[in-house]
Amino acid sequence: MKKFFWISIMVILANLILVGCAETVLTDEGQAERTQSKDTLVMAIGSEPEGGFDPCTGWGRYGSPLFQSTLIETDKNMNIVYDLAKNYEISDDGLTWTFTIRDDAYFTDGEKVTAEDVAFTFGTAKLSGSIVDLTNMKEVTAVNEFTVEFILEKPDTSFVYTVAATGIVPKHAYGPDYGDSPIGSGPFKLLQWDKGQQIIMEANENYYGKVPEIKKITILFMDEDAAFAAAKAGEIDVAMTNSNFADQEIKGMNLVSIKSIDNRGLTLPYLKDEGRTDAEGNKIGNNVTSNIAIRRALSYGINRDILVNDVINGYGRPAFTECDGMPWGSDEAIVEYDLDKAKSILEEAGWIDIDNDGIREKEGIKAEFNLLYSSSDATRQALATAVSLQAEELGIKITTEGTSWDVISKRMFSEAVLMGWGAQNPIETYLLYHSDNMGKDYYNPEYFSSERVDEYIDRAMSTNNLDESMEYWKKVQWDGTTGISTKGECVWVWLVNVDHLYYVREDLNIGEQKIHPHGHAWPIVANLKEWVWN
Amino acid sequence: MNGRIKLIFSIIATITIILIIALVGILMDEDVLKADFKIKNIEPCLEYPFGTDWMGRDMLARTVKGLSISIVIGLVASIVSAVMAVIIGTLAGTMPKWVDSILGWLIDLVMGIPHLVLLILISFAVGRGIKGVMIGIAVTHWTSLARLVRSEVLQIRNEFYIKLSKKLGKSNIYILKNHILPHLLPQFIIGLVLLFPHAILHEAAVTFLGFGLPPEVPAIGIILSESMKYLSAGKWHLALFPGLSLVAIVLLFEHIGSNIKKVLDPYNAQN
Repeated sequence: MKKFFWISIMVILANLILVGCAETVLTDEGQAERTQSKDTLVMAIGSEPEGGFDPCTGWGRYGSPLFQSTLIETDKNMNIVYDLAKNYEISDDGLTWTFTIRDDAYFTDGEKVTAEDVAFTFGTAKLSGSIVDLTNMKEVTAVNEFTVEFILEKPDTSFVYTVAATGIVPKHAYGPDYGDSPIGSGPFKLLQWDKGQQIIMEANENYYGKVPEIKKITILFMDEDAAFAAAKAGEIDVAMTNSNFADQEIKGMNLVSIKSIDNRGLTLPYLKDEGRTDAEGNKIGNNVTSNIAIRRALSYGINRDILVNDVINGYGRPAFTECDGMPWGSDEAIVEYDLDKAKSILEEAGWIDIDNDGIREKEGIKAEFNLLYSSSDATRQALATAVSLQAEELGIKITTEGTSWDVISKRMFSEAVLMGWGAQNPIETYLLYHSDNMGKDYYNPEYFSSERVDEYIDRAMSTNNLDESMEYWKKVQWDGTTGISTKGECVWVWLVNVDHLYYVREDLNIGEQKIHPHGHAWPIVANLKEWVWN
Repeated sequence: MNGRIKLIFSIIATITIILIIALVGILMDEDVLKADFKIKNIEPCLEYPFGTDWMGRDMLARTVKGLSISIVIGLVASIVSAVMAVIIGTLAGTMPKWVDSILGWLIDLVMGIPHLVLLILISFAVGRGIKGVMIGIAVTHWTSLARLVRSEVLQIRNEFYIKLSKKLGKSNIYILKNHILPHLLPQFIIGLVLLFPHAILHEAAVTFLGFGLPPEVPAIGIILSESMKYLSAGKWHLALFPGLSLVAIVLLFEHIGSNIKKVLDPYNAQN
């Protein structure tokens, strides 16, 4: 009996040692393979799409849906190019849009992509009540197997960008759980989603376009500091980071800085405080920011280059509109930093520091207001602080206050907020400045409205000609006499566009990136299908 | 100089240190706390012993201000807590049995819920900020002291001189005021001082988790949670010095508490 006991102990020990060795060998091999392999990739991205991978509820808006394909897409210069569609036509009145789709596209379950699926996708998205805004789309019908027709309520040229951002889902395989295990006709297939941790995807070998060269891609969801540590340990190939880490070097990786229109600016309540409240009882208006001299003086008197250098360590560029550098953005909106001009604007308007406390006043009102920002965002905190320091020199006192978005959404109609936007779609100009959107969501909390601006926006959206619409979008900013930019009504004081920073392994080619939209994470994978290892 | 006097000196010295920190923080010029992007991310040096952060704020100034905020919050919260404890403990000890059962049940209830969870709930419910944290800490820290006071009161109540006093026709209020409360004083003081480190640590914890003070206030919890984001970028000094200072303050209070205990405890007093 005793002998048996000892033998079994030894067997167990031997097993343990063997297993231990085997494991080490395996991990060694695994690591070696990962760094050498030309068809796998591991990357770290900060934010997981909470709603899953369902384009009908917003997946793929910023960047690309990856698992689904879109009718059309934008190239790196923001021109419209065909994807699933072979061509499209717009009727003379701008209300009927007809798309013809290709006949060689298949979903990953083998079914053909048809006009039915397209109609189903847009119909479902319209009813989803999500961030996908299709209120202007009256109906969508499949005319025949490969032709689909959209009918709009009113003409809208920017609808083309909405189409370009909406991935097509299969009608036969769509259900409430679709977002968890999407089936689509895109360049990639989702293999596995460990919520809160990672997704694993592989190339779709039946993709109608060029099949991606990198066959297996793992995207880990982690914060910048965790991603930085993992990148340093050589565990990942692409890591999202921010300007606070940018002075750190990682061996074998380059810091890639991608231009963006991920902007930050101040919303300044446009109306006077006359005791008005909205339907929920939130105060509307502010007696300081409603004065145009204050807004304009801030726009001229804040040195945006210093903000870029101080707050984001030079990884960004000054912002003057919500769409700097886009085809619909206007150079007329750019103003030079001019402290003297800013001061004289204030003095001419009657803002003078009479009691010598460093803060100007006019008719008994002190030039001071609160600036709210989301307290979870260190960059916004630094930006708000830097702005208030610069405003002090102008004699305007800005008190910064970090808080949560639910507090901001109640106080933003009467106080300044540090907000950020930036879309690859001119519809954003409509959302931020058209009187339709006064007090709606976060779009126009300033309660700005101008008949002239509304008219330009309406015309930009209703013309049939994309080039012509661009001219109208530019006139929204500045038409020679008025507009929303600094020289005009100066509704926002835009501050900076924040570059998107990533550590990328030296021998990985991530192609040519478009100007990134708001949301630092997913835009980088918009062209994932073109990525290759050198 | 005997041990007792030495102890008293040591207590006074510690209290002085804490008072100085609190006063420096309270009287500090706001300008010292201001951001200055020209001097951001400086490692500890002679001019900035604790370094500066990513907005160029002097971490020494922030730490001192943070500690003084903690001390003030701790002081208010622990006084309120200790007073609550004495009142509830005395009530439980002197009132009829059913009051005792109800209060005993209340103590068990508050003690049964994890401190931090209750604290977060309460400070969230009464509207965050300094007020929220103070109320939160005040109403969660009285339980163990209350229990102690209760048993003390029960013990005193059965002493002969109390019974004698009663027989002599003294009223309950008189007995409470002249015979019971003076006996509770040492418990009260020690309890108060020992509540301090708890209160400060909980204030820092709640603020660290983002349920306490707004990010403009340089509280230690805020400083620590902000510095977490920069740790892997190599900014070790942002967390280390404020963290050590917090520990030091807590240890100082602990020191006062245990020394007072020794001074007031007749068995140890002469050693």
